[in-house]
Amino acid sequence: MSARRPAMRLTTPRGIALAAALVLGAWGGQAAHAAGPLDDRGALKSVTCAACHGQAGNSRSSAMPIIAGQDAAYLKKQIEDYAAGKRLSAEMEPYAKQVLNLGVDDVVAYFASRRREPTPIASPADAVARGRSAAAQCVVCHGPQGQGDAAKLIPNLAGQAPGYLREQLLLFKQDRRSPGDPALAALKALLKTIPDETLGDLAAYYSSLR
Amino acid sequence: MSAVSRRGFLRASGLGLGVLAGGGLAGCAASMKGDFARKTGPRVVVIGGGWGGATAAKYVRLLDPKVEVILVEPNREFVSCPFSNLVLAGLRTIDSLTMGYDGLRKHGVRIIHESVTAIEPDRKRVRLGEGYLQYDRLVVSPGVDFQLEQIEGLAQNQDKVLHAWKAGPQTVQLARQIAAMPDGGVFVLSIPLAAYRCPPGPYERTSMVAWYLKTSKPRSKLIVLDANQNIISKTALFRAAWQAYPNIDYRGASRVVGVDPGNKEVRTEFDKVRYDVLNVIPPQRAGAIAVQADLVGGDKRWCEVSHVTYESVKQPGIHVIGDATIGLPVPKSGNVANAMGKIAAAAVVSLLNGKEPSALAPGNTCYSWVSDREAIAVVNAYRIENGKVVQIEQKLTPAQSPLVAERAIGWSQSIWADILA
Repeated sequence: MSARRPAMRLTTPRGIALAAALVLGAWGGQAAHAAGPLDDRGALKSVTCAACHGQAGNSRSSAMPIIAGQDAAYLKKQIEDYAAGKRLSAEMEPYAKQVLNLGVDDVVAYFASRRREPTPIASPADAVARGRSAAAQCVVCHGPQGQGDAAKLIPNLAGQAPGYLREQLLLFKQDRRSPGDPALAALKALLKTIPDETLGDLAAYYSSLR
Repeated sequence: MSAVSRRGFLRASGLGLGVLAGGGLAGCAASMKGDFARKTGPRVVVIGGGWGGATAAKYVRLLDPKVEVILVEPNREFVSCPFSNLVLAGLRTIDSLTMGYDGLRKHGVRIIHESVTAIEPDRKRVRLGEGYLQYDRLVVSPGVDFQLEQIEGLAQNQDKVLHAWKAGPQTVQLARQIAAMPDGGVFVLSIPLAAYRCPPGPYERTSMVAWYLKTSKPRSKLIVLDANQNIISKTALFRAAWQAYPNIDYRGASRVVGVDPGNKEVRTEFDKVRYDVLNVIPPQRAGAIAVQADLVGGDKRWCEVSHVTYESVKQPGIHVIGDATIGLPVPKSGNVANAMGKIAAAAVVSLLNGKEPSALAPGNTCYSWVSDREAIAVVNAYRIENGKVVQIEQKLTPAQSPLVAERAIGWSQSIWADILA
């Protein structure tokens, strides 16, 4: 990689526009029937989220997480943890406080009810294959298809953005995501035994699941 | 803009064809007299297809497909100002920041590539040359225009002294000037007093040019003449980043008052500085149409609006969004303009449907690049209190990092799609 180029692969804006045009599940889609989007409190209160999380929470980028179709209770806990500074994020802490001010239940219900469009970012097949082999222990909590377990606030990872997954795995491993949270102690202990490259493979694998 | 393109618009949009009568093959503006497109139902006209206006046009259609939306924007393509400083460092191409308006057309937005010449609030119509368009609600997202007259010599030397503060041809020209500068040359950047578009933008530009010079022209230096006392945004983070760039000579409280391209000299209130390449970001005000339509306040610069509906305090039925507004505790950023576009769209559609507009506050996410692979960010969250936008919190990333840069790219992709796709 030459020093002149940014360290990551860039998707062309036209490609993005095209991809996003295919997922018009925003206000015009699922929310448009019956009462109409103006009466959908969750849609209105989520108005600023799309700038990062994409139309109806279906981010098309690698780094920003897809929140469409994620369990509402899990999303609510994340908003509360961000706002309380338990899950550290300079970007999300202010917005989490804004969401709490608007009414977190409306916002998380809105995103939970959107259909998840899996990430369009394709990972290299060899990374996906290595990730599949390395995922044996993940299945115990996240399920055979990465769908998670809403009752235990374990998130759905299937089709999630790969850059986001990789970043979170690294943050868990370094105990920088929700430090000291006892519910995450076993996960972090496990991740400490896994090399960073393999975390990238796991991210590639889970992002490829449908 | 020729009449041919108007015909193209009329044909493409299937609008009323009566106005074409008498328009010969050659076409001329005079043949476009009268009602451009007869209004048959509720209609919103949006002036300006940037971060605010394009978003507003799309979201009005998403919120109420019964409302006809006509967007008037002279440029045929959208060029992103965010990320355009990377073009100056050779890290991105302008093509990678250039997008078409077809996504909006798919939402049923009709687009006229034309400049509005006047707004007639009493008659609820906007003029385009000899023709006009009726509206029920007007959204004005005029961006900024430059106050060239505030710097002596600038108006008559616009071809030599570039602003590159509206992404497009000037961005590419300035990148060429920097690339052509001999090693050992001096690049001078002039920053106006706040308020101006994109508070951290000049400091990101400083970082990008400094990175480029350090990498490619190590004997060159960069003098920053800032009219402000100090860096006005992300101050500590930029200071930390600039530790890596000893080629930056930052001078606060240095307002540029004159340029002399003949002698390659720029004048501040107290000093004269020689340059090889000069980039002057001029003082700014709301886009010309806002001034002309008397949407600006006593300062003749910015537009005061309702914090809930973005309706002008001076002209009922006209909503102003984006960098042209003043009075909200928000920066003049693309992200804020995008948020205002959505909130104004919701308010406009509510009002057209006889409903009370929801009290929604914008948000601001703002990334700045400080090297070829690292970025920083500031985020502002807001709420509405007694009808006014109030800041809940501002938060900065703790340090520059490649992970923040990856999220900057993610943000750009998401928000471009939110505006245009």
